[in-house]
Amino acid sequence: MISLYMAGNSWAHRLPARVKLLFLFVLSLLIIPFNTLWFSAALLAFVVALYATLGRRGLEKVKVVRPLLWMMVIILLVHAFLGDIEQGIIAVLRLLAMVLLANFISITTHMEALMDAVEPLFRPLRVFGISPMRMSLAVALVIRFVPVLLAVYASLQEAYKARTARSNSWRLLAPFALHAIKMTDHVSEALTARGGADGFDRS
Amino acid sequence: MSSDRSLVQIAFYAALIAALGLVPKIELGLAGGIPITAQSLGVMLAGMMLGPVRGGLAVALLLFLVALGLPFLAGGRGGIGVFYGMTAGYLAGYFFGAVAVGAIMRAMRNMNVVFGAIVSGVLGGIVVVHAFGVPVLAYKADMTLYNAFLVGSLPFIPGDLIKVALATLVAHTIARGLPSAMLSRS
Amino acid sequence: MNDTSKSISFDHVSIERGGATIISDVSVALPDQRVGIIGRNGSGKSTLVRSLNGLLPISAGSLVVHGVSSGEGAKKLARVTGFVFQNPDHQLIFPTALEELSFGLRQLGVGKADAKAQGLALLKEHGIAELAERPVHELSEGQKQLICILAVLIMEPKLVVLDEPFSSLDLRTRAALRRKLEKLDQQIIFVSHELDALSDYDKVLWIEDGRVKQLGAPVDVLAAYEEHELSGAHLHFEGVARA
Repeated sequence: MISLYMAGNSWAHRLPARVKLLFLFVLSLLIIPFNTLWFSAALLAFVVALYATLGRRGLEKVKVVRPLLWMMVIILLVHAFLGDIEQGIIAVLRLLAMVLLANFISITTHMEALMDAVEPLFRPLRVFGISPMRMSLAVALVIRFVPVLLAVYASLQEAYKARTARSNSWRLLAPFALHAIKMTDHVSEALTARGGADGFDRS
Repeated sequence: MSSDRSLVQIAFYAALIAALGLVPKIELGLAGGIPITAQSLGVMLAGMMLGPVRGGLAVALLLFLVALGLPFLAGGRGGIGVFYGMTAGYLAGYFFGAVAVGAIMRAMRNMNVVFGAIVSGVLGGIVVVHAFGVPVLAYKADMTLYNAFLVGSLPFIPGDLIKVALATLVAHTIARGLPSAMLSRS
Repeated sequence: MNDTSKSISFDHVSIERGGATIISDVSVALPDQRVGIIGRNGSGKSTLVRSLNGLLPISAGSLVVHGVSSGEGAKKLARVTGFVFQNPDHQLIFPTALEELSFGLRQLGVGKADAKAQGLALLKEHGIAELAERPVHELSEGQKQLICILAVLIMEPKLVVLDEPFSSLDLRTRAALRRKLEKLDQQIIFVSHELDALSDYDKVLWIEDGRVKQLGAPVDVLAAYEEHELSGAHLHFEGVARA
């Protein structure tokens, strides 16, 4: 599975994940009172400049906001319709800036480093039986089985196409869900066979 | 029910929700050929099948993976950025929606499965999801709640109703074919 | 030969599943290094071997696997018995081969870095170090099944059970994996429909309708099985209906 992460060794990559997350969190709170056009524009310029420090490949990653653009156009239109386009522009600039800043962390921080960074936050969940070991196992299972499920869906599509000449249908959803559910029995059996989620007595 | 099984089920539904957001869009003849992504259908299914606790955990796990940078939201979106975007409220809504769907499904476990699925799908899968989505959109886009509802939720409600129908169909199929998988009703 | 610490013994074992008795009153000792198990689909052979790992509890009788008795709990059995399943896609639970192998060691309490190093060493030993970080879903079926076997071996079980593990593999890959199995020191229990593959095993156990039909040298049991299954009177689709 391709994650957003971009391999590299820039200053931003070397910065500890915790520092980056804390910066994002604090900044998102600090900007709340500054609700002016020039401030929002400067914020966005600052964030884009961060991408630029990663070089050309980094700057290209700004494209991740593309799916948001049509919604931003609608926001602008609503504000224009209400006669206050400036508020609309401010809102859109801030949105772009914060989404890009947050993604900057995703781009420069390896998944494992992020997981290690947030692990202490999940410690209280131990009370409910959610240990770090179980969390990382669950994360691994999802990453492993998304492509498997996509392959299952593709094979259902193939079987459907062979009989109907159409390649996709809502009719595939129920068999798809059934396949996925049946697979859980096998996978949990395989997990149990190797000592289960908690492992063997560590003695 | 062993804990290994619960863990695998939670992870599988998280994977299923992700996969439903990534499979080719389904075009529905009955809805005038509108293509729909099935991701929120996966959210409804997680609640309907697993019940409130495991269903909610499945969605939480998926959102955690998204935050870690994996492209598991519809159309391959992911990363911490989505939690700062204008649709962040809908993501929170996915979690509370799955919990609500599961809770309603469980409360109605002695009734007809189709009835339970429709009620839980509409209340949990639509009302709860949008109840979280609209205020966040209104805040982020600096709009009134009413305007946020008009542009952010209303256009999607017909599609959501179709997804409730599809989720109900899946729940009905599984309740007949593999009743042991309907953990919300056991 | 009858050293119980290196042997399997079923003593009046019955196993129920979903209210039905799948294995009824099986008593058999298997001290041999390599044992093949044959039988029709639905005969109970998969159920029988699952009890060796503790995956299915026995409902009556007692079972001792390499000195561990069924009374000590499923987890103790899982520690001595490694299990390779039919479909590698259901067995591989990690996104990469290296994570898959180090998981087994982590289960035994080995630290993260050590587990990774040992996993990589094992992949090197089998000449597939380049697969370590590749996404598992991009590997061939044979490579996946090899990773499954290594993931079991790295935990150093005393007994390795393989439940029709090669059914989706081509001839070449089967032969290659079989050669790897021949070199193992562990006791091997191999459930298979390919009778030829069992001809050089020490013993073959034939299960029918949840009971031991025959146990003996491969040459005798395989011939009797083939004769019994292919003689005209038995050519019906019972197995198909059950599966």
